[in-house]
Amino acid sequence: MTLLWLRFAVLLYGIAALAVLPAALYERPRWRHIAVPATIAAIFFHFVSLAETLNAAHHRLPVETHELQSFLALLLALAFLTVYARYRSVSLGIFVLPIVFLLATLAAFRPGEETFSTPIRNGWIFLHIVLLLAAYAALVVSLMASLLYLIQERRLKRKPSNRRWLATLDTPLETIDQIALKSLLFGLPCMTAGLLIGSVIAQADYGAKYFSDPKILLTFGLWIAYVAMIFIRRLSGLRGRRAVYLSSFVILVVLFVWAANQFSAVHRFSTP
Amino acid sequence: MSATQTRRQPIQRLTIVAPATQAAAAQPHEGALVLVGINHTTAPIEVRERLAIPAARLPDAVRALTQQPGIREALILSTCNRVEFLTLQDQPGEETTRSLLRFLHEYFAVPAAIVEPHLYEFREREAVRHLFRVASSLDSMVVGEPQILGQVKEAYSVARQAGTVSAALDPLLQRAFSVAKRVRTETQIGSSSVSVASVAVDLARKIFGSLHGKTVLIVGAGKMSELAARHLIQQGATSILVANRTQERAAQLAGQVADLISMQLANGPIAIHGAGLACTTEVVPFDQLHAQAARADIVLTSTGSEHPLFDPTHGRQFLERRRNRPMFFIDIAVPRDVDPQMNQVEGCFVYDIDDLQQVAAAHLADRGRESAAAEKIVGSEVDLYLQRLQVREAVPAIVALQQNAESLRQAEIARTAAKLAASAEPLTPAQQAAIDALTRSLTAKLLHPQLAALRKKSE
Repeated sequence: MTLLWLRFAVLLYGIAALAVLPAALYERPRWRHIAVPATIAAIFFHFVSLAETLNAAHHRLPVETHELQSFLALLLALAFLTVYARYRSVSLGIFVLPIVFLLATLAAFRPGEETFSTPIRNGWIFLHIVLLLAAYAALVVSLMASLLYLIQERRLKRKPSNRRWLATLDTPLETIDQIALKSLLFGLPCMTAGLLIGSVIAQADYGAKYFSDPKILLTFGLWIAYVAMIFIRRLSGLRGRRAVYLSSFVILVVLFVWAANQFSAVHRFSTP
Repeated sequence: MSATQTRRQPIQRLTIVAPATQAAAAQPHEGALVLVGINHTTAPIEVRERLAIPAARLPDAVRALTQQPGIREALILSTCNRVEFLTLQDQPGEETTRSLLRFLHEYFAVPAAIVEPHLYEFREREAVRHLFRVASSLDSMVVGEPQILGQVKEAYSVARQAGTVSAALDPLLQRAFSVAKRVRTETQIGSSSVSVASVAVDLARKIFGSLHGKTVLIVGAGKMSELAARHLIQQGATSILVANRTQERAAQLAGQVADLISMQLANGPIAIHGAGLACTTEVVPFDQLHAQAARADIVLTSTGSEHPLFDPTHGRQFLERRRNRPMFFIDIAVPRDVDPQMNQVEGCFVYDIDDLQQVAAAHLADRGRESAAAEKIVGSEVDLYLQRLQVREAVPAIVALQQNAESLRQAEIARTAAKLAASAEPLTPAQQAAIDALTRSLTAKLLHPQLAALRKKSE
């Protein structure tokens, strides 16, 4: 039954991902009346599914791969809705909703295996996971906003020889830039707090040797890259192509960290 | 000849549009709905200006119109592109049309021979359709322009205050406003800009979002740049730099712009949303142009310079000083003031006069396509309006027929009851009820064909 709800949510995400294209790319604003309600309904069913999954697995936090994918998708969908509520813009959905659809599909059709192998302190570990996932979601949103900036910039620079040349996105360039920067600024405290909580738990349970693991070191490298990215963006007002390169680099580090988790000897726990 | 043909082709003489049979079939009011007028397609400016009525004289004019013999209700719509007289007349015919012409002749002191060849006339269904088209901006010179609806509303307000619209024209005009709203909501007829200045403002908003607090640099003090600056200020730009080779002219333009900003602050949206913004105008010496240009978010150029004032090197320098915040160059000069290569600089957006005109033309073409959908809406709304009117007009006839039959039935029952009461065997209550039911049933069955015919006719 839980998978049924999730699959229904996947269907709704798919509809929203398609409906957002004419709304954002072809100046057909009425399509947003499909995209936004579909996303809201999808989030509802997604939440119900996730809650039932965790309840059935007798734990309160997402620890399995498919649960993490599902949770990340939920956070991204919420980020899309937040941006819509704040800026009345659905452009971000061009990229975010397909990613949500993909992550939710993976969770709905390929349930993953256990990632954690040691007993879990529910409260703090929950915060650790949620904060890091929120930081990853913010990073993804920032990258997508930077890509949108590129699209909008190209469209505005294109000359009106093509009839549909002015089918610009529904969001002004400066607003897109703000979305990119604000999501980064939101992600930094999440990532910092998430890493700090994880470090304190690891120090208490395993001692200093835990921090010599390359995967853990890479995670701290990720934090430094994140801070550097915000610093560079603020200092030089980095926008457009170079902002995309910078965000892509940090996303790559995130993916490395994620992949390293699969091979690392540490950072594996079991559910109670 | 159809209404559309009438509108598009120059009219040589007064034309009765609706055929007599159609007009009779679709006549929605007690009286005749007649619309007479001239517009930009039928009359040159020389004729239109002779019939134009200033806003202050409109109440008097519309009252004078209703004092003409045979005219019961009236509304006058007078804009720069049209003067139209919407009237409800006692009965259709040449006589009332002549009284309208007489009014034009007397009120405007314009010989009929000058006006008559340019007049068009619509009656009943076609008059309703024309009014809906006008209010929906389908009959405007720039299809989809938003001002016309406000002008029709203003004309309605004047006529209402003058007491010249009531039972017939009031609901018709209310319906026209609803139709116009529906057209704007369900089509994209008015969604894009079609003038060079408004296209420039639209583009600026696509880059910066709100223009509140943005800085505009006006280079060259031509008429076009003044117009574009006016649009930008109306959208909230409140910091204006002016540079011109002639310092005096720059100061003069800066003064005009300052006045405009003051007016905006006093009356416009800036006063509400932009409280606390520094609203300034400043003359920039021409030799300081490149040093100061980086301060501006929007650069509006219209000088007579034979060589570009800004090239990509300047663009890169500006961007560096602005920490990559975008810059928008609106170049309406010929020859151009901004090197087209500037558009290749990341963060610089350059639109010249051709670009802006092409965008405006593309938007106009889009509006043309949308107008087909809008015409369908207007067509269906005309049908719906006339249908509702006819249903409404059938109701009194149906009620009258039923009341007449009921009173006859009651009278017959009373007569029979009186006869029986005089005899030795009066009716029991059960018998009275049976007679009552019998007569009701008979009346209903006898009336049914007539009522059905009336209802069918009204549908």
